[in-house]
Amino acid sequence: MSFTSKIDEWMKEAEERPESAVMIVKLVARRLRELTERDEELLAENIALQNGTRVEEYQKRITHLEYQLELLKRRFGVDGDVSLVELPTKPVESTTSSILIYNAQGRVFRVEINADAKDLGRITGNMVTDHEPPRLLTVPSNEEIVLLFTSGRVDTVAVSDIPTVELGGAWDWNQAALPNEPRAGELLACITPFSHLPLSDFFMQISRRGCVKKTMTSMAQSILANHYIGKGALQKSDQPFDLTLCKKQDRLAFVTYEGHLLGLDVDDLSYASEERIRLTATDYVIASFTTRPNESLLFVTQTGKVVHRESKSLELPKSANAKGQTLIPPSRLEQGVRFMGAASVRDGDQVIVLDATGRLSLHEAEAMTGAGSIEADGLILSIGIIPADSVKRGAS
Amino acid sequence: MSLKVGIDFGTSNSGVAVYDGQRVKLLPVDPKNVLPEVIKTVLYITKDYRTYLGQEAVETYYRDNVNRQRRYVKQWAGEIDVYGADMHYVRDIFVYVDELKPGRLLQYLKTALRKDGYHGTQIFERYFTVGDLAKTYLSLLKQRAENVLGETIDAVTLGRPVKFSEHPEQDHKAQETLRQAAHDSGFKEVDFELEPIAAALDYEQSMTKPQNVVIFDFGGGTLDIAVMRLGDAKNRKVYASGGVDIAGSDFDRTIIEKRMLSHFGYGKVKHHPEIMDMIHAIPDWMALPELGTPINRNILEKAIQAKVVPVRLKALEGLIYNDLAFTFYNRVEAGKIALSSDGATVISLEDKDISLWELYARAQFESDIYHYLVDVEKVLLDTIAKSGLDVEEIDAVVKTGGSSNIPLFTGMLARIFGAEKVKESNAFSSVVAGLAIKARS
Repeated sequence: MSFTSKIDEWMKEAEERPESAVMIVKLVARRLRELTERDEELLAENIALQNGTRVEEYQKRITHLEYQLELLKRRFGVDGDVSLVELPTKPVESTTSSILIYNAQGRVFRVEINADAKDLGRITGNMVTDHEPPRLLTVPSNEEIVLLFTSGRVDTVAVSDIPTVELGGAWDWNQAALPNEPRAGELLACITPFSHLPLSDFFMQISRRGCVKKTMTSMAQSILANHYIGKGALQKSDQPFDLTLCKKQDRLAFVTYEGHLLGLDVDDLSYASEERIRLTATDYVIASFTTRPNESLLFVTQTGKVVHRESKSLELPKSANAKGQTLIPPSRLEQGVRFMGAASVRDGDQVIVLDATGRLSLHEAEAMTGAGSIEADGLILSIGIIPADSVKRGAS
Repeated sequence: MSLKVGIDFGTSNSGVAVYDGQRVKLLPVDPKNVLPEVIKTVLYITKDYRTYLGQEAVETYYRDNVNRQRRYVKQWAGEIDVYGADMHYVRDIFVYVDELKPGRLLQYLKTALRKDGYHGTQIFERYFTVGDLAKTYLSLLKQRAENVLGETIDAVTLGRPVKFSEHPEQDHKAQETLRQAAHDSGFKEVDFELEPIAAALDYEQSMTKPQNVVIFDFGGGTLDIAVMRLGDAKNRKVYASGGVDIAGSDFDRTIIEKRMLSHFGYGKVKHHPEIMDMIHAIPDWMALPELGTPINRNILEKAIQAKVVPVRLKALEGLIYNDLAFTFYNRVEAGKIALSSDGATVISLEDKDISLWELYARAQFESDIYHYLVDVEKVLLDTIAKSGLDVEEIDAVVKTGGSSNIPLFTGMLARIFGAEKVKESNAFSSVVAGLAIKARS
């Protein structure tokens, strides 16, 4: 049936029942509006196709996918021209896990751990350099890591390229590896595992003063080629603190020295640097992590007091610049209690604790939350997590 | 004392009611439906043979099926003997089966009872006869009614059309299949009442004096007419009854045939017999889901690549392979219902690869189904003639069933009997209410 015949039929309806005419006009007008909108979208698409924008976009996507494939090949230890279908379907399990202990001067100890290890070792020499305590990170030994410096510079290193130190020994900072020496005026801000980049959507940067910046991982190739991601801070006195890879649906949390906890929905964050928390002059961010529903949140003070919260207790702030949830009452704060570490943990995870004497001790996360405190030789400087599955891998 | 209910096992909708001698209580057997007292006659059976009915069946079907993955595997289905002049060989028959199919949605169960040559269907590993399907639906419905009432139901009065079929044998077989299904689902005592007579019993509750009444029960599957003397329970009399296999589902089919097929390439595809077959199968609610084979997809993809009305064939592919058949039939039915009150409506379906929009005016609908009006009018006048009454002797015409609200038929009744004699009754509950009254008597 031709369109003209249809119109004739509608006219017939309008003649037979004049009240239908209004309805027909309304329905046709609504359709016309829908089609106009669709037409505009198609014209825009046409323009993008004609001027090459769309082609460029797809070329960029292809380049990004090729880059991700390259990273996957490296992760699976595959060399040469191998197609995606030939990659192993299950992730290759690392035989060992490594703990990285690093300071602001870019010095890194790598110690390979196993399931039986109780006392990891002791560090001698200055523990706090440039007002920054050392930080701890557990990674598979075949992992690739990104080093982020306070100038916004980045560099990648394979964990296996960092020499190991003896488990349970005493190590001096002078013996530590220096995979990429900080340049004049810059410090090592953090080290981040990098091989799950193809499975992530964003880089999230968190500054000491609570600024958050989101960057799409499709920019990874350009970032790494230029060795620069930016500081992600708004104020000159502020500096980068952490870099993490997130998926769209992840929730990011960060914790401050004076015990404020802030949760953020990664997908809702803008791509520009934004100050997300109002901090007092003496407060700053001491930990940041992504949370998952089956995990709980663990916070440790400098004296070894452990605060434990369910991950569902994490509230998302209604305003862009919030104060965050308070972990301790003001009276405790006045007594001098401060937080040195926080993480998202599961039952079975182990917590590495570095104290001011340089001792590295291991604690079961479950036992820590049960006891409410941990014993250490001195004030606690930082904590790190050994995920339960990585310990099993180490044992195998 | 055993509890007896009335069940209207309708083509599109069903219902359960109980009568306490004073008033009829319609049971809310489908809390998820807009009208909880009305339950869609739809059954969903999953791969692990869990069963759902009514709105829950529809929701589960949508959740599990729309835009799901498919994986076809070739399965041996049997063998055929091929005989030639001096030779004989046996050939294996293979069919493609979607092994990820999570379940089957079954509707028009009542039509299946009377459909000649339709005995049942294979649902995954099991074969369900028509009786098995009716039994599954009735037992779930019984269970829901028992949950509402908080006691066991032992007996039922089931409604039945005046004619399941024009052929007396088929008609008898359909009723006996339904009776056996009711027994198998746990009803110890089962009896039947004609649906228009049930509607009359409900109408009688509102009468103050005896009258000659025509019951015009026009539902989803059949038109049933009864000419009766009502108003005095002791002298109730059925003068005549009649019916015909014309109803709502036929109008839906007509709308699809006349207005929708062009959106899927009808009239544009000329030299592709396989594609023509697929287009012609669209109005058949049983055939459409079976079209989703890899071979058909390949045929459609090739035609799209060859630029044979690509947009329309992509829409056809979307309709078949995105499991949109049920949504499509529902949209058509909703459009038809809207035309009972509005002069025009839009039948639309927007989904991946489909952008269907059809402005449909009442004049178009009336022109499309006009040939049914002639048949309906003939059956009505024949039944009146059979009753021995003149048209002038009819005091009231009670219309019930969803299709009785179509203005073309309301107009016909008004033209024959006079508008003041045409009485409204609840389109979806008068039959079940009457069945409950009958169950109590």
